[in-house]
Amino acid sequence: MKRKLISAIGVAGMMISLAACGGDNGDGGDKTGADGYAGETLTVWVMDGSSPDQWQKDVAAAFEKKTKAKVKFEIQQWNGIQQKLTTALSEENPPDVFEIGNTQTPAYAKTGGLADLADLKTEIGADWTESLNESSIYDGKQYAAPWYFANRVVLYNKKIWAEAGIKDTPKTRDEFYADLKTIGEKTDAEPIYLPGQNWYHFVGLTIGEGAELVKKDGDKYVSNLADPKVAAAMETYKKFQALSKAPKDKDEATPQQGEVFGKGNVGAFIGMGWEAGIAIEANKKIEKEIGYFTIPGATADKPEGVFLGGSNLAVAAGSKKQELAKEFLRIALNDTYEGELAKLNGVIPNKESLQTNLKGNVVAEAAAPAAAGGGTTPLIPEWAAVENAPNPIKTYMTAVLNGKSPADAAKQVEDEFNKRLAQQQ
Amino acid sequence: MKRSLFGRLWPNVTAVVLFIGFVFPVYWMFATAFKPTGDIISEDPVWFPTDVTFEHFKRATGVDHFWTYVSNSLIVTLCAVTLALVVALAGSFALARMRFKGRRGFVIGFMMAQMAPWEVMIIAMYMIVRDASMLNSLVPLTVFYMMMILPFTILTLRGFVAAVPRDLEEAAMVDGCTRAQAFRKVILPLLAPGLMSTSLFGFITAWNEFPLVLVLNKEAEAQTLPLWLSSFQTAFGNDWGATMAASSLFAIPILILFVFLQRRAVSGLTAGAVKG
Amino acid sequence: MTVQTERPPSGPVDAVDKAESGSAGPRPRAAARAGALTPYLLLLPACAATVLLLGWPLVKDILLSFQNLNMAQLIQHVTEWNGIDNYKEVLTGEDFWRVTLRSILFTAVNVALTMVLGALVGLLLARLGRRMRVMLLVGLVLAWAMPVVAATTVYQWLFAQRFGVVNWVLDKLGWHSMADYSWTSSQMSTFFVVTVLIVWQSIPFVAINLYAATTTIPGELYEAAALDGAGAWKSFTTVTLPFLRPFLYATTFLEIIWIFKAFVQVFTINGGGPDRLTEILPVYAYIEGVGNQHYGMGAAIAVLTILILLGLTAYYLRIVLKQEEEEV
Repeated sequence: MKRKLISAIGVAGMMISLAACGGDNGDGGDKTGADGYAGETLTVWVMDGSSPDQWQKDVAAAFEKKTKAKVKFEIQQWNGIQQKLTTALSEENPPDVFEIGNTQTPAYAKTGGLADLADLKTEIGADWTESLNESSIYDGKQYAAPWYFANRVVLYNKKIWAEAGIKDTPKTRDEFYADLKTIGEKTDAEPIYLPGQNWYHFVGLTIGEGAELVKKDGDKYVSNLADPKVAAAMETYKKFQALSKAPKDKDEATPQQGEVFGKGNVGAFIGMGWEAGIAIEANKKIEKEIGYFTIPGATADKPEGVFLGGSNLAVAAGSKKQELAKEFLRIALNDTYEGELAKLNGVIPNKESLQTNLKGNVVAEAAAPAAAGGGTTPLIPEWAAVENAPNPIKTYMTAVLNGKSPADAAKQVEDEFNKRLAQQQ
Repeated sequence: MKRSLFGRLWPNVTAVVLFIGFVFPVYWMFATAFKPTGDIISEDPVWFPTDVTFEHFKRATGVDHFWTYVSNSLIVTLCAVTLALVVALAGSFALARMRFKGRRGFVIGFMMAQMAPWEVMIIAMYMIVRDASMLNSLVPLTVFYMMMILPFTILTLRGFVAAVPRDLEEAAMVDGCTRAQAFRKVILPLLAPGLMSTSLFGFITAWNEFPLVLVLNKEAEAQTLPLWLSSFQTAFGNDWGATMAASSLFAIPILILFVFLQRRAVSGLTAGAVKG
Repeated sequence: MTVQTERPPSGPVDAVDKAESGSAGPRPRAAARAGALTPYLLLLPACAATVLLLGWPLVKDILLSFQNLNMAQLIQHVTEWNGIDNYKEVLTGEDFWRVTLRSILFTAVNVALTMVLGALVGLLLARLGRRMRVMLLVGLVLAWAMPVVAATTVYQWLFAQRFGVVNWVLDKLGWHSMADYSWTSSQMSTFFVVTVLIVWQSIPFVAINLYAATTTIPGELYEAAALDGAGAWKSFTTVTLPFLRPFLYATTFLEIIWIFKAFVQVFTINGGGPDRLTEILPVYAYIEGVGNQHYGMGAAIAVLTILILLGLTAYYLRIVLKQEEEEV
């Protein structure tokens, strides 16, 4: 009884705060003009590595100029972000705006923690690329705004490749393998750094094979890891992983693969373009040696399947600065700054017209050919639970790499995988 | 003859081996922290740092908010320990010196409180603090840390109080002291070693805690050193130099405090025990 | 709380406590003089703190364990009671029982190793010459004093797959297959690292306190034993051991609760992996509850964990209960 009362008070409190926002709404026009927002600070969570300092500085300046309010960027780590975000959204002062991975967006949309951005979509989102906006829509409503998208490429050390006598970048998977083999034979470098749990790359391979990670069983989603197509993707992964000395039970962030590459004794790694920055930070001298190419597919005419990772920007439903938060989105996502982000980071912007910013960007040019054949993990609310540690897909990968047959490994993790897909919401 | 030589030798040999076993990890932490990166990731370990570098320490302390973490950690730890000592001293005096109904129940109660697995109750604690609008504050941390060390402090101090000869106290009371005065003038000084060793325990527990602060305090302004140290894993990857430098910095206050307090605590205890 | 500890010597004190209370003779006079309420007033702050800061979270946790509490409910502050569903799900699943068994084995092995090795080191300390003893004491204190977060990080570095000094030594000693061995790749090797870490940090407490306790054994007891014609072993079993018994009980009790709750060590070394095979109860509760954002379920596991811990220590609590009874 008492508990119900408490939660009722909570809801009432929320409604009051929303009502207060409604009030702001009315004279919103005045506020932007005068210095109605002066003294306020908007908190924005961005993920580690997703937006360059320069971009943050520029956006903050433009935002302050227009609204007189300040913006505070807080850098978050991917590791453990869901737990942090969930609790944060339940708090009195959640981050007003936050970056959220596209695969995690549907689950959060369903929780009611994200504000409805329908009006913003009508206002600034008419030309957002439809496929990129898909993850932001849940139950017909717009819960986030697409921000940027990217897929993995091969980053390689030109010096080592030259040392091995390789003249051209590979065009097919077999050529790629042969080149790495050559590096292993002719140099004392590690041909490729591929830890056992770079599961985004593995998801890319399954997309390349045309495999699905989950399937419908009645009205439930269940594991589809036993599919031979998934096994084929895993075999490819295993073949390349065997060339690496990287641990089979770690992902690409522990240690940061960019940092390992930066030491200068690794031929290549599969990663995001911005990871070059990590390598350069670890070792300035590596900068001129880094080259990029599209991950080669089975045949020369079709690049490897890639995971189209991406991030959306969302507004917390519990934020008391709804209007200011939308103001931030208007600025951060306008052509100038969305374009700047694409240019600086070599990521795919949220609308086609801005893709010109990628011209001459070596990373983007290496990434673009694969993007067309890219895909994502299933965009269902049930998916987010799968990504929580220990991620069963990572467990599956390590099991196969340690000698289990893909079928046995699939069976091993099936229960855990299904349990998470069926987890009560 | 031969046997007695062996008999004299083996305890010493064992002691040396054990000494190396116990000290090596601590030594290796400091050694790694001072070695240039090239010596850290070398195919054959460099056993003694020859080119000493402070570069890793610079990296570890160069993190944003480093000094905020230091001062938060100190504030929270010192307050929690002091509070726990005061509260526990009163309680332990009652438990050690007085007869009353339910005494046994209190003792068992504190023993059970000592078993509380705090890590598994994190979410309940989080919701309480959240609903009280006390997130990102040092106050809940301080009082919870106080509670984490309180049962142990009470139970241990009880032993120390009991070890103080009763005659001394009674003699003081015969001399016209009130009970409170007798406590302050006679018992408290004798308890010093006990207070030191229990506060040491409390200090380390509070200094180390991180699952709770991780969920309660998301803002850097209210975070503590263990979060800084654990964040190194992701932020610095396999930069073992910086990680070991951070570990060293984190451990130094405790090591100093420990070497300093432990000797007194143990010697005080043994002396007191022999007298008793 | 941490296993690695800084526990002031409670054991010997307990012994002294008992010895002293036995000889103190008629004492309740002072207590009778003081108001009958005084002890309760003195205990009030401690009890109030315990009720508020431990009791409340505990009650809250029990309430949560009867709720369906996931991301949505937490974010929207909604309370959804679901009866005993969480318990049903936990208790009917295999995982929980497997983890419980593992937890108990893990605790048993670590406590046994710690107590046996710690006692041996303690007895060794008593035998050593002064200089060697001080040296070994310094070594023990350093290991004891290492903050658990720092110690765990150092162990990760010692056992690192590449450039880890342990692998290098094993390789040089002839186990060449260990040169690039990943200690976190299997259940047993992960547990091995965790066990070395825990035992390394726990031995000093046992050893130093046992040593301190042996120094308080009155010499006359040994003389009397010698007069009775007892040899070294006999005097050990008839004098040393009985004298140390209360201390050994108390220490074992503390080690059990500290090691059972070794969350930080297990979680930091390998996150309960590989494949969830090294999860002990507190880690399991954390991963199911916080990690999987299945908070009600996590709360139910927490309640069960507490019950199991109570069960494990019930024997000792009964001894204490009896002991306190005798004193009154």
